[in-house]
Amino acid sequence: MTDAIAPFFEATVRTATPLAFAALGELVAERAGVINIGLEGTIIAGAFGGLVAAGAAGVGVGFLGAVVAGMFVAAIFAFFVVTLRADHIITGTAISMLGVGATGTLYRIFFGTTGAALETPTLAPLPIPLLHSIPWIGEALFGQPPITYLLYVIVPCLAWWLRRTGAGLALRAVGERPEAASAAGISPARVRWAALLFCGAMGGLGGGTLVLAQVGTFNEGISAGRGFIAIAIVVLGRWSAVGVSGAALLFGAASALQYFAQAMGWGIPYQFALALPYVLTLIALAGAGERAAAPAALGARG
Amino acid sequence: MVSAPTPDATPLALSLRDISKRFGATQALDRSTLNVRRGTLHALLGENGAGKTTLMRLAFGMAKPDTGTIQVDGQLCVWRSSADALRAGVGMVHQHFLLVPAMTVAENISLGRGGMFSGFDPRAAAERVAALVAETGLAIDPTARAGELPVGAQQRLEILKALSHDARVLILDEPTAVLSPQETQDLYAWLRRFVESGRTVVLITHKVREALQIADDITVLRRGRTVLQVPAKDASEIEVLAALLGEATTLTAPHVRTPAHLSAVPVLTVDDVRVRDSRGTDRLKGVKVRVFGGEILGVAGVEGAGQLELLRVMAGRCAPYAGSATRPAQIGFVPEDRHRDAVIGAWTLVENFALKDAGTASGTLAWRGYAARAEAGVRTQDVRTNSVHNSMASLSGGNQQKFVLARELEGAPAALIVENPTRGLDVRAASQVLDALRAARDAGVAVVIHSSDLDELFSVSDRMVVCFAGTVRDVAVDRHAVGRAMVGLT
Repeated sequence: MTDAIAPFFEATVRTATPLAFAALGELVAERAGVINIGLEGTIIAGAFGGLVAAGAAGVGVGFLGAVVAGMFVAAIFAFFVVTLRADHIITGTAISMLGVGATGTLYRIFFGTTGAALETPTLAPLPIPLLHSIPWIGEALFGQPPITYLLYVIVPCLAWWLRRTGAGLALRAVGERPEAASAAGISPARVRWAALLFCGAMGGLGGGTLVLAQVGTFNEGISAGRGFIAIAIVVLGRWSAVGVSGAALLFGAASALQYFAQAMGWGIPYQFALALPYVLTLIALAGAGERAAAPAALGARG
Repeated sequence: MVSAPTPDATPLALSLRDISKRFGATQALDRSTLNVRRGTLHALLGENGAGKTTLMRLAFGMAKPDTGTIQVDGQLCVWRSSADALRAGVGMVHQHFLLVPAMTVAENISLGRGGMFSGFDPRAAAERVAALVAETGLAIDPTARAGELPVGAQQRLEILKALSHDARVLILDEPTAVLSPQETQDLYAWLRRFVESGRTVVLITHKVREALQIADDITVLRRGRTVLQVPAKDASEIEVLAALLGEATTLTAPHVRTPAHLSAVPVLTVDDVRVRDSRGTDRLKGVKVRVFGGEILGVAGVEGAGQLELLRVMAGRCAPYAGSATRPAQIGFVPEDRHRDAVIGAWTLVENFALKDAGTASGTLAWRGYAARAEAGVRTQDVRTNSVHNSMASLSGGNQQKFVLARELEGAPAALIVENPTRGLDVRAASQVLDALRAARDAGVAVVIHSSDLDELFSVSDRMVVCFAGTVRDVAVDRHAVGRAMVGLT
């Protein structure tokens, strides 16, 4: 049993990392009143952008490419939703399909039709001395690639920024009552553009992490619904940065359970374990009925 | 009728000259002028659609005038946004409050300050608000959530928001529409002290009598033009009403009360009714009321005294947990918030008419029948629209309210329950609505009306009851008696 626990925790944190990046981005967009269903497209664009940039100039530039690609897709979404005041859900769905379709097409154009696995340089784990040898959780929390440690910085910063800065207050006001923000001299459109670009950067980082720190290759549809799972994570995390990281870990654990079940020799078909995160997503979204914590103007046009 | 601006030594705090503004085909403002002397309370009067709110939104930088100039303290100003106006010392309290309900008082007041990473310290913000409260005398809890405040406190919060920007010119749009008589008095007293400290108030209102009582100067707008500028002490109510309506008017003539033909038995009975709100507080504590056909029962009460619960029990919209209410089968109900509770703006008049039966009709809806019924209603209540297939939102507030009345009075209901029937309506529409209620009464309907405008209650009621802290008492139709009963004195 003990032999399986440390790897279980490690897998939990590993699978939670891309989800947490994307969900924190979505959190900021939603607190500004925009529900970015296009997150799936942002993540896969980040994954593809990361692959191309890393292939050209190494892992570091790869992450930069992931951020730029994610922001590019988010900017398309922001143009339609914020500037042209289109419907969030319809635009987001289109952006998701566009992201998955376009990256697939570009991949075939650049790397051939065979869909052959393409190796890309990856970010090696950077164990933090001493901390990573803590029993059970040391490896999970402190034996990860450096990109994971970036999250440890972003979460408290974001929580502080939302609560304790004038800009955070402005962002939350735009999500709750844009008219009131406007009367206070804040431009809701500008705030939403900024929030969506941040969401794009974070979604891009999530996709980049997937390719450049974990899988080491790209394949079509690699995002595999993570964008939608991230949206569910925001709901489950009650729209707070700390809550969202907790919810991301829970989803990570649900995914990691399949390895744990195999290691423990439980007779559960692995398909059940595979389905678990998606079942959790459904439960989280169904439970969103009483959304006391949701920004009041979420999804409202204009 | 336009009198020349009086030559006066007092400098102007706010001066709007030759302001025009067009929205699509509508000329909202047509070379209108407003001169507000520093240290005065200035009432801006006009019917709905006269351009009062538009003019003040321009003064507050929420839109740009097509022509004309804005001067604050003699300085020519061109606003790019409200933020510019706030910086120049102009603040505005909107009729529909612009608050973030989920945020605290302190957070609402701190909104829009500071840059990207400038800190926001809730404790320091609360202290700043507390200091502001102490300085202004506008009591409010800095840590309360805006959405949970009673409406009077929300208004104080709006005023504090403006004052936190050091507003020297404070514009208030219909501030008393949502206030009880006592709160209105308190607000006026506070505004008086505010102008005595050398600052300036512009009060948008359509209540002529109140304006004459409390303002120093009066400006009247009609159809986007300034038609009267006069010191309040030199103006008579008739003169101002004539400017407002643009015609010799008989609206001020007292209504002749026809002798009542009361029904033999009460049409509506409420017996020992108790109602509890979601927090478990009793809003009605065993009340007894009877209403006869052919009378208008006026229900008075300060906000939260139980009058709304009483009316909703009578209308069958609220179930008492004890006691009984006997209602006729056919009953009309006109709720106070028209937009939220009575009509659907995006739907046509016909569809809104059909809402009446939406809960009970089975099978397919007879749309032709509804169109004919809507037409008939539009004719009887003189609703101004060129087709019943227009959207509800295309009607003015007064016409919407007349339409709601037509719908609720259709099919000869035995009783009609009406909450604040003229809220937000201009003088003419309000008088038409009250006439429709009197006509219903004369036709034998039992009419129950609550209004936070006491003048209105006195003008229509045949009999009155007063709600106080969940109890109901019969009171003579007399200003003095009702006023005492509303604050719990016998």
